Amino acid sequence: MEEKEKNQLSRRNFLAIATGAIGAVIGVVMAVPAVAYVIGPALQRRTDENWVRLGSTSKVELGNPTLFKTIVENQTGWIVTEEEVSVYVVTEDGREYIALSNICTHLGCRVRWISDQGQYFCPCHNAAFDELGLVVTGPPPRPLDRYETKVEDDQLYILLGG
Amino acid sequence: MSVGFGNWLDERIGWRKVWDAIFLRKIPKVNWLYTLGSATLFVALLQGITGILLTIYYVPTPDHAYDSVVFITTQVPGGWFIRGVHSWGASAMVLLSVLHMVRVIMYGAYKYPREVTWFTGVGLLLATMGFGFTGYLLPWDQKAYWATIVGTRIAGVAPFIGEPILRIMRGGEDLSAVTLARFFGTHVWVLPTILLLFLGFHMYLVIRLGISAVPGKEE
Ligand code: FES
Repeated sequence: MEEKEKNQLSRRNFLAIATGAIGAVIGVVMAVPAVAYVIGPALQRRTDENWVRLGSTSKVELGNPTLFKTIVENQTGWIVTEEEVSVYVVTEDGREYIALSNICTHLGCRVRWISDQGQYFCPCHNAAFDELGLVVTGPPPRPLDRYETKVEDDQLYILLGG
Repeated sequence: MSVGFGNWLDERIGWRKVWDAIFLRKIPKVNWLYTLGSATLFVALLQGITGILLTIYYVPTPDHAYDSVVFITTQVPGGWFIRGVHSWGASAMVLLSVLHMVRVIMYGAYKYPREVTWFTGVGLLLATMGFGFTGYLLPWDQKAYWATIVGTRIAGVAPFIGEPILRIMRGGEDLSAVTLARFFGTHVWVLPTILLLFLGFHMYLVIRLGISAVPGKEE
């Protein structure tokens, strides 16, 4: 009788523990992917640092900034948006290329190269930058932004998202 | 939970009585077939959890539905798993609830005084099928689209009421953005509400009436 009582109890305990253990395993198997799933996109760093081809180097005239336009794709979630990037490319010797963003560092208007004056002009607050993008007059706080460049097979590339 | 805290809480909210009523209630000697209902309940719980998780990324519009589902399965960490569990769980739900129902029929467990338990069970089965039907459209791929075309047409052949039913289901003449949106709304709001109500009632009755024993041979 006593013996039986004991057995009964241990069977009951065993089942309770087994149920708890299986439940815990299932809980972990579900919880780990669930947490990864929820926080996953938040942990993704922008790794879209990539070289974008602008075009042939032969288009760039010595001492005269040339405007290149290129479309870059931006992916956020499942939505891909296209963005136009405009870049002035300058070279003094035909070997070293400097790529300048055409976005004014003051408040973001587009600058335009005026070849008569040898300056970039920003129409918004009358700023002027010299050929290499340094501020000549006006409110912009710093020179025009530069992209890293490289040349491969006479094709010009710039590094975006770096 | 320490015994002391358990007692403290029990004195205030009386959880032990509830716990005992649910988990320590007396049951006759039964067999493994009696676990089918609990198994269905467990899968339903999984469906609820994975379903809620899926809504974090899923967007029920024709221009985003498919892409967001692809995004879930290919880009989001663990997304393939969450969606997989939800999709297989849907089939498991139907299978388990039908098996559970077969057991109840074979053992005559629907008889007095458990008729209402049976009725609520039928309601639960219908809700489950509604989930399956509305959920199938949501990925908005070819299979989903045509399955819903066919499914709504089946409803449409009923005499007199068929045509209006088809129009109500589709939200118009054709399968469209309206259809997708209402299937989604039904799937995540209407049916869960119905399911919870029926489930609560079903479980209350199971606990109140107890479960029937395996029928004896001599009868
Ligand atoms: S934005 Fe270019 S000068 Fe103000």
